[in-house]
Formats: sequence, C-alpha cells, structure tokens
Amino acid sequence: MQVQELVGIVPWTFIAQICNLFLQVYLIKRFLFKPINAMLEKRRAMADAEIQDAVKAKEEAIAMKSEYEQNMLEAKNKANEIVTNAQKTAAIQSEEMLKEASQQAAAMKAKAESDIAQEKRKAVNEVKNEIGGMAMEIAGKVIEREINEEDHAKLIDEFIANVGEAS
Amino acid sequence: MDIEITGGKIFYTFPIDFPILGKFQITETLVVSWIVLLLITGLCIWLTHDLKVEKISRRQAVAEMLVEMANKFVIGNMGEKFRYMIPFVAALFATSVVSNLISLVGLRSPTADLSTEAAWAVVVFIMITAQKIKTNGFGGYLKGFTTPIPVMTPFNILSELATPISMACRHFGNILSGVVINGLIYAALALASSKLFGLIPGIVGKVLAQIPFLDVGIPAILSVYFDWFSGIMQAFIFCMLTVMYIANAAEEG
Repeated sequence: MQVQELVGIVPWTFIAQICNLFLQVYLIKRFLFKPINAMLEKRRAMADAEIQDAVKAKEEAIAMKSEYEQNMLEAKNKANEIVTNAQKTAAIQSEEMLKEASQQAAAMKAKAESDIAQEKRKAVNEVKNEIGGMAMEIAGKVIEREINEEDHAKLIDEFIANVGEAS
Repeated sequence: MDIEITGGKIFYTFPIDFPILGKFQITETLVVSWIVLLLITGLCIWLTHDLKVEKISRRQAVAEMLVEMANKFVIGNMGEKFRYMIPFVAALFATSVVSNLISLVGLRSPTADLSTEAAWAVVVFIMITAQKIKTNGFGGYLKGFTTPIPVMTPFNILSELATPISMACRHFGNILSGVVINGLIYAALALASSKLFGLIPGIVGKVLAQIPFLDVGIPAILSVYFDWFSGIMQAFIFCMLTVMYIANAAEEG
C-alpha cells in the first residue's frame, strides 16, 4: 500500500481538514452547546422565577406583619379605651352609689330623727296627760276638795310648763 | 531488521488530476479524522440526550461542566464579546485532544500529519488577521507592520507569518515525536524479545521468538508522556495560543 510522506502538506487533505474543522464546529454547537445552553437558560429562568416568588412572598409577609401589628395596636387601643371607660363608669357608679348611700343614710337619719322627735312628743304628751291626771288626783287627794274647772286647767298648764322646762 | 516510519497510508487515489491541488486521496489521516468527528459528535449527542432542569444525571453534569469550562476558558481569556468563539475553540480543542489520543487504540493520529495542523493554523491565522483588520481598519493593519520604525517591516511580516507556522509545527512536532519514538520502541522491544527468547534451544525458542512479548506493557509507560501528557498539553497550547492571539489582535490600538 502506498504511504504519504512523513512530513509534508497534502493540498487536498489540508482543504478537507479545514472543512472537517468547521463541520466539527457546527456539530459541537448544534449537539452540545445549543441544548446545554438552552437548558441552562431554562434553569436560570426558573431560579429567577423562584427568587421573584420568594421576594413576593416576603413582601406579602411584611404586609401581613404590618397589618397584624396595626390590628394589634388597634386592639390594644380599644382595650385601653374599654378599660378607661370601665374605670370611668365604675368611678361614676361608685360615686353615685356613695351619694345614694349617703342620701339614704341622711334620709334614714332624718326619718329617725323625726321619729324620735314624734316619739318624744308623744311620750311628752302621754307623760303630760298622765302627770296631769296624777296631779289632779294628787291635788284632789291633798286638798280634798273639788277645784273648779278653770283653776284646774290652769294648774295643769302651769305644771306642764314646769315639767316641759325641766325635761 | 529494518524499520520504517512513514506517513499515513493512502487508501484510494481518485484518478482526476487537478491543477496545483493534485489528485484527491483518501488517506489514513482523513479516515481517522472522520472517525474523530463522529466520535465527538456521538459523545455530544450521548451527553446531551434527555436533559433535565433539575435532578440532573451524572452524564448531564459532565456535559454542563464541559460547557462551563469552555465558556470560562474563552470568556476568561478573551472577554465577553468573544462569546461566539466558544464553539470554535471547543471544537478545536476536542478535535485536537481526540485526534491525539486516538493513537492509544492503535489508529494513526490525524495530528501526526502536518496537513491537519497546517489547516488549523491557517484558519486561526485568518481569524487573527481578520480581527486585526476589524480592530484597526485595513490601513491601520498595514501600518502596524511599520512599527516601531519602518525598517522593521520585513521582520514584522516574518514574525506575522511565523505565527501559524510555529503553531502548526509545534503541535505536529510533538505528536510526530510520539509516533516516531513509539515506532522505535516497539521495533526495538520486538527485536530484543526475539533475541531473548531465541536463546531457548529447539522449536520452542523459534516459536517464542516470533512473539514480541516485551512489547506488552513497557511502551505504555512511555505512552503516558507521549500520548496522554503531550497530546492533551499540545491541544491546550494550541487553543490557548488561538485565544491569546485573537484577543491580542482585538486590543491593539
């Protein structure tokens, strides 16, 4: 079989090798770089989408948190208001109750006083009558004579007046 | 015993004689080049079938790593604007590496033929020149030969032409040296083997002397340097030079 020179450039081989090289460039581009780059691009897009999702989720979380905080603040304010109102109401109520109680007490006292005064008057009148009767009896017994009505009444009144002063 | 180290075999010669170009010959170089082409393409197809975005297979990881390496190599050395060069450099490197290493399976490397490297180097040279003209304009490109002083013009032209020649010859020389040394070693070991086993008397020695026992194993040690190291190194150097020259051509002001 024929052989080539060990060192030498064969024009046709030279041209064929240039063609081979460019064919190889095309093939490697078509079968390695194109699919891999497309896949990498897809992956990058996916990663980007995921990052965007995460950012969105974070934003949502922040919004939720602020909303929650606001709600909490509102609730706290409301609670404070309620407590304040309750305290106020309680104060007013207690004041009213106190007032009422004192009024009642005063009324009771007044009633008691008037009762006492009435009782006293009643008692005094009873005593007056009894004493009047007794005085009449005593006087009748002592002087053993019937004094006329006029003197009688006078004496009683005098006596009662004395008694009233003394009591 | 005579040994002969020759170029690739010529399988078929077309009878038509072209002017200047001569007759078209199907040589060992071309046949093995096509095998290399098919191997690389087949590898690419195998690596990239059934690609997934997540939960990737080991095969896909390798494919991605190769692409990333090519990207990093080209963009790291040339910059982002040379992204279109990635497939070319990758093809050059892959072809060179596979061509160099195919000698391991007993085929003759296409890179052991100067025509192959000359073809590559001329393509690269045209790219460098095109890049220079693109950067500086045609006038600027011609003017570049007269720097720093007009007297230097012949030397500048010489150095310009030396670029493809040195690139081609460097690669070719390294691979050819491997071929030559491997040929010598095989022949020498076969001879030593036949002499050694020829010492055994009688028919046994005659039969054993025909089998080159020493050719098993020992040349593999040399192959580590001449095929593996040199083959990968030269492919890398060739691509590195391509990338560097083109990047430099784009920078010259």
